[in-house]
Amino acid sequence: MHIARETYFIYMRNLKARLGQPGVIISTLVPSVFMFLFFGAPLSGMTNIPGFPSESYEAYITGMIIVLAVVMNGADSAFTMLTDMLTGYFDKLLLAPVNRFSMLLGALLVSGTRTMVQVFVIVALATAFGVRFEGGILGVLVVIVFMSIFGVATACIGLIIALKTKNVEATQSSFLMFMPLAFLTTGLMPQEFLTGWFKWAVTVNPVNYVLVSVRTIIIDGWVWDSILPGFWVLAAATMVLVSAATWIYRRATA
Amino acid sequence: MPHQNMVEVRELMKVYPGGTRAVSGINFDVPRTEFFGFLGPNGAGKTTTMKILATLVKKTSGTVVVAGYDVDTDSKAVRSSIGFAMQEIGIDDLARGRDFLQLQGVLYGLTRREARSRTEELLEMVGLSHVADQRVGTYSGGMRRRIDIAGALMHSPDLLFLDEPTVGLDPQSRVAMWEHLDDLNAKGVTILMTTQHMEEADRLCRNISIIDHGEIVANGSPESLKSEVGGDVVQIAINGTGDELSGRAEGLVRERHYVDAVNKVVGGIAITVKNGSAAVPDLVGLLNEHQVPVASLSISSPTLDDVFLKYTGRAIRTEAASSDHTRTTLGPGVGLTRR
Repeated sequence: MHIARETYFIYMRNLKARLGQPGVIISTLVPSVFMFLFFGAPLSGMTNIPGFPSESYEAYITGMIIVLAVVMNGADSAFTMLTDMLTGYFDKLLLAPVNRFSMLLGALLVSGTRTMVQVFVIVALATAFGVRFEGGILGVLVVIVFMSIFGVATACIGLIIALKTKNVEATQSSFLMFMPLAFLTTGLMPQEFLTGWFKWAVTVNPVNYVLVSVRTIIIDGWVWDSILPGFWVLAAATMVLVSAATWIYRRATA
Repeated sequence: MPHQNMVEVRELMKVYPGGTRAVSGINFDVPRTEFFGFLGPNGAGKTTTMKILATLVKKTSGTVVVAGYDVDTDSKAVRSSIGFAMQEIGIDDLARGRDFLQLQGVLYGLTRREARSRTEELLEMVGLSHVADQRVGTYSGGMRRRIDIAGALMHSPDLLFLDEPTVGLDPQSRVAMWEHLDDLNAKGVTILMTTQHMEEADRLCRNISIIDHGEIVANGSPESLKSEVGGDVVQIAINGTGDELSGRAEGLVRERHYVDAVNKVVGGIAITVKNGSAAVPDLVGLLNEHQVPVASLSISSPTLDDVFLKYTGRAIRTEAASSDHTRTTLGPGVGLTRR
């Protein structure tokens, strides 16, 4: 059977399994509302500090809220796979004469789709909080696509941990260790305001480059010097992570 | 020309990391259209063997050919040729029954139209059409087994692997499942089944291998294996007190040419014969003729449990040992002790 056809059927199956659980929208919506409420207006005074890059603090933290939502749900495909392993359905899929890469891709693309939905929800929420997207509708579309790729990359990390541990708790707790990657960024204040080890950590954290790309499109529009580094970092990270996940997946299912 | 043997296993060995030897150099063939059983207790190596045959587990050494394809070099062809209903039922609880089957179909290369048509056919066959739009997670144990087997049949495989297909089923569902499996085999599907139920192997399989500690200890048809153990035992309870009547009965019966052995037991005698059913009319007539009053009579045939006991030195399951005996009781039971 053609790989594209196999991938489509497995993707649709996984998508239906995810759609049956409304938690995706709720787990995106609730923390995002809290972030806008707790950080948006209360910290809006930051925009008066000379050198702050935006007039709206809600606009400034929208990128951070998007990145955080993606990272927080990065293990969802891993949980679907682990559930299939526990129920024996994973073996059933392995028994079918389908390409192993189709099975992996079918899982990863669901994470991409989930991220699309999440970003769309947060964009709608941000608009409700008065955020204007300087990149326009095209900018919103680029952010959605860009973050979907980011969702696939984070899902690869979740799948790798799940395949190595084959344990839900271990996967869940190890993913919490990735949370600092979302916070060790310029998500809440610009790099110029940071000092010491935090400033250094932000400089070497790849997630910050992704965040800067998204935030630039939101608050500045098409400033390519700020956007492109994040694009390259994400492209490289995605290639490495998809390759690693494929390799480990093939070894685990050989 | 189709391959004559659907399964050929030679010197198959599986040693898990850590040194656990699950399968120790076993050999067996399963001819086309056979209903073949792997009988053994938990941990005997049945499931590991079946998973190796299905390409889910890598063997350590040996050769395995399934449906004419080598499991090492043609694993995809092997997977296309078999259906496998596993012991731990591998179904998607969140899917509706109909969707689960259709996905199985398309993953095995059926077109969507073919998958839809085959789904309806199989739902009808396993009696689940009325719940086809419910989520599989809401199904009872018996329904889950049936939808799982239907899933394994979606691509109309010539070879079906069933790992403990009736585990967890109530007696009524188990009998219904046996009838389904009989029908499938009658339609030409070769079936390789693992079980630890003597009664199940005896009822369904034309040939069995008894496996214990990763080794095949006996091969053959249930009848031939049972005949190796010995003949039927006719136990006769005698109405009366004392040893005198029993002694007389023993002397009378011993003269019959078809009797292999006679022993006095509490309340009567136990007679070993080749064919218990055929011997009973003559034995009862003989005792009546000599005024030995027969209170009750039972025939015990050797069971596969006796076979397992003979080859391994222990019963396959203590609780199964008593329930799996085939006993025919004529007249009021008087609690005769089985030989």
